[in-house]
Order: sequence, then structure tokens, then C-alpha cells
Amino acid sequence: MTVQTLPAPNDSPLDAPAIELINAARWYGNVVAVNDVSFSLGAGVTGLLGPNGAGKTTLLHMLAGFLAPSAGIVRVLGRSPHGDPSVYRQIGLVPERESVYSFLSGYEYVRFNARLQGMKNADSAVRAAIARVGLEDAADRALGTYSKGMRQRAKVAGALVHDPQVLLLDEPFNGMDPRQRMAMMDLLGEMANAGRTILFSSHILEEVERVATEILVLVAGRLAASGDFRAIRALMTDRPHTITIRSSDDRKLATTLISDPAVFAVELRQNALSVQTSHLSAFRRIIATASKSAGVRLKEVEPADESLESVFDYLVRR
Amino acid sequence: MAASLSVIPEIIRITVRQLLGRRRTLLLLLLAALPVLLAFIFQLAVPANADKYANVVFDTVSLSVILPLAAVLFGTGAFGAENDEGTILYLLAKPIPRWVIVAGKTFAAVGMTVAMTVGAVLLAGLVDLFPSGPDGIAATEAQVAAMVVGSVCYVALFIPMSLLTRRALVIGIGYALVWEVTLSSLLPGIANLSIRQYALGVADWFFQIHKEPARLSSTTAVILAGVLVAVALVLANWRLSRFELPGGSD
Repeated sequence: MTVQTLPAPNDSPLDAPAIELINAARWYGNVVAVNDVSFSLGAGVTGLLGPNGAGKTTLLHMLAGFLAPSAGIVRVLGRSPHGDPSVYRQIGLVPERESVYSFLSGYEYVRFNARLQGMKNADSAVRAAIARVGLEDAADRALGTYSKGMRQRAKVAGALVHDPQVLLLDEPFNGMDPRQRMAMMDLLGEMANAGRTILFSSHILEEVERVATEILVLVAGRLAASGDFRAIRALMTDRPHTITIRSSDDRKLATTLISDPAVFAVELRQNALSVQTSHLSAFRRIIATASKSAGVRLKEVEPADESLESVFDYLVRR
Repeated sequence: MAASLSVIPEIIRITVRQLLGRRRTLLLLLLAALPVLLAFIFQLAVPANADKYANVVFDTVSLSVILPLAAVLFGTGAFGAENDEGTILYLLAKPIPRWVIVAGKTFAAVGMTVAMTVGAVLLAGLVDLFPSGPDGIAATEAQVAAMVVGSVCYVALFIPMSLLTRRALVIGIGYALVWEVTLSSLLPGIANLSIRQYALGVADWFFQIHKEPARLSSTTAVILAGVLVAVALVLANWRLSRFELPGGSD
């Protein structure tokens, strides 16, 4: 496996990266949750992408100081977050768990966070944080009465009330409706433009695609790829794809397709044709032209391996 | 330092609200009403001997059952509620020394335990002991002192227990019933290791509740209680400073 590590934005030799992992690993008994992961991040939004169980939450908990690395080094703003509470002055954390102090109102919850951050006369900062996540109308209601998406937004408000340098979010868009997602993505973008380092986890490619400029792909505890989102996206798109085709004459279509350089394998199956191509976008044009020139009617064209898990598998196997 | 201490009231507030919201607190409140109810019954049924019965109820019900139960529920619940509800991350992801969090949680749990247990013995004392004159007033003072010392010691013990094991409530109740109630009464040798005996020793400073003096002198009881509280809180701080989230698949 080759891991690409591209330089993080604003990562100059003079400034320590906001987040840095060097050969970091974490295991529980015989189970390896995070394995030999290295990367560094500066200002900007970075998406931590991976299937469920990939080790995303473990990685975020190591960065948040709630888990010590079993091996390697984890640094946030140049310091080890485990056992050093003072680092939380510069970290905002949005955990995945839905749990909140259900008896507190939204305002009380954000104020509680502000006070524990040592902020005095925090009222204006509390109201500003609530406004940033669009919860003004519900601020006086108990968190227990909030929807899942509203609770997520309240958690984000609590995490950014002290204007942290680093924001860690674990599946922050869970439970949000599309409008709320867009607003939250805009907020993360604004914070990144203001020089903050934001790392959020997701198992949904489209979420990461919309907001992140950098991407870390974690699969089975290992860093499968990292760097510029577009480069990784291209890798994902241009990987070998298997496509199942049903047509009026599969054999005739197979003969035509095999002559195209973008197609490197064709297999005739019962009532179907299995085609492997390295360029999915090009293949869409090729199949249209090939069926027309062969005089074959297409009944069904279906990618056979489009699940995110298969994409991740490919990245690991590279 | 001053900035760190200023967050203690906030931690106390959130802990008290969290503990008050639990159903078991309501059940405990009903249990704490038992000595008060018995005090009224004694005053109506046997007014001449009500003070003697009051002292028996104090030892067998208030000190042996209500105090350890209240302390174990509030002591283990101070961190247990945060753990159960998954809110402890919001508390720990803050730039606060861990001993400040332990202090806030301890104050909250001690305050709730004292409010419940001292309230119960004070009300029962007003009904049964105050009418019997200066001795009755001194006996009430002794009971209050015993409850305050017992609350502080029990809570201090249960706080680190809740950070060391998820079964702190069960272990705490078992410990209170087996060690404190049964063994400390039967085996005089373990008086030095019994919170119940510390409480009775301090009570003797004000008034001798039993016919026999307490097994520990008041001074010894205060010193041993102080050592217990100090060791327990240092242990709690050590444990919280090394807090790690339980392992998960992701």
C-alpha cells in the first residue's frame, strides 16, 4: 500500500502543524484500532473518511486526549493532548454520541461550556455561538426536547464558543436535514478561512466532497490515502470498475467492446456481460458508441462495485 | 489557580441537577423520611421514652442504612451519571485541572448526602430529642456531627470507586452492608477501618449516644477520617487524570 502524504496548507517549517501524528497506533488487547498512522494538518477543513469500524472515532479520541497512543506520537498544537488539560483551551470537540445534558436549555449548555473554558461575561459569545448554528429560536428550550439535528448543532455551538484553533468533529452531520447540513458546511468553511484547523469524520463520501479540501481515508485502522481531495477522488473514480451489462446480443457487444483500450477484460456470463474498465467516465461514452455500431440494444448497464466499501478496499489494495 | 477554582460552582450546579433528575433520588428521599415518621410515632405512642427510641433509630436506621445508601447513590452517581449518560466528555474536554473536577463533584455529592441525612436526623431530633432538654439537644448535635463526618467519608470513598469500576453502586452497597453494618459491629478490631465507627467517635465529642463509649476516641476518629478522605481524593484525582474512553470498534 502506498500512502500519499501531501503538505498541509499553511504548513511552514516555522510553524508546527496544528495536528500531527507520527506512526501513531492504538490497540485494545489483540484488536488494532489504529495502525501506524502518520499525517500532519494545518488550517483548513479535512475530512476523515472511512467505513464504519475503520478507526475514525479512535483516531479522533486520540487527538482529543481521551486515548493515549499505544505507540507513536500524537500532537495537537505541538503538545501531547493526553494528560494535558490546558490544551483544551485551543480545542473544540463534537463527539459522535448523541448524549447531552438533557435538562439544560440550549443557552445554558453553551454557557456551561463557556464558563468551563474560563470565559467571564460570556453572554455575548454564547449568543453569537448559538446564532452561528441557527438555534436562536430554540435556545431557551431544554436539550431533551431537541431533535437529533438540533442537538448536533447545540454540541457544535458548545464546541466553538471559545473560538478554538482546532475543531474536532465526529460524524457532525448525523441527523441533520439537508438545509442544516449546508449551513453547517458553510460554517466549517468560514472557520477554515479564518485560519482554524478542522478535522471531521464521516463515512459518506458526498459529505466530505462538499466541505473538505483535504482528505484522510482510513480503512481497517490504516491510512489508505491522504492529501488533496480531488486527487483522491480521481483515484477512486479511475480505479478498475466492473460493470454488468445486459443487452439484446451480449456476444456481439463483447466483440466490439474488447477492441477498446479502456476495456481490459470482458466475460460472457449467463444472460449478462461483465466488463472491466479503468476509466469509468470514458466508458459511459464507449458503451453508447459500441452498442450503436454493433446494432445492439442495451437493456441494463449497472456498476457492480460502487459501494464505498469496495472503493476503500481498492485503496487499501493499491 | 483562582480561575480554576471559579468553575467549581458550575460543576456543583450541573452535578446536583443531574443527581436530582434521577428516580433513585426520589426513592431515597422517601427512605430518609422514615426516621422522621418513626419520631412522630414514638412521640405519640411513648412520649416518656421517645428520646431513647430516637437514639436506637438513629443508630440502626439513619447511621447504618440511610447514610451509606445516600452516600453510595450520590457518591457513585456524581461521575456515574456522567458516564451513564455519556456527558463526561463535555466536562473533561475543558482546560480544568482534574482535581478541580473531583472537588466539584465531591462537594456536590457531599452536599446532597448531608442535606438528606442531616435533614432527617434534625427533624427527628426536633420531634423526639429536643423536648427532653439539654441532653436531647446535645444528642441531636451528636447525630448531626456523625452524619456530616459519615457523609464526607463515605462520599470520598465512593467517588474514586465510581472512577475505578462501572459496578461501583453494587460494590458500594455490598461494602456498606457487609463491612460497615455487619463486620464493624461484630469485630472490634476493624474499628480503625470503619466509617461508621469514625462517625460514632466524632458524635461522642458532643454526646454519648450509646451506653458504651464509641470504640474510637473523637480525636482518633477525626484523624482517621481525614486520612481516608485525603487518600480517597488523591486516588480519584489520579484516576481521572488517566481517564480513557472505553475501546470501541470505530
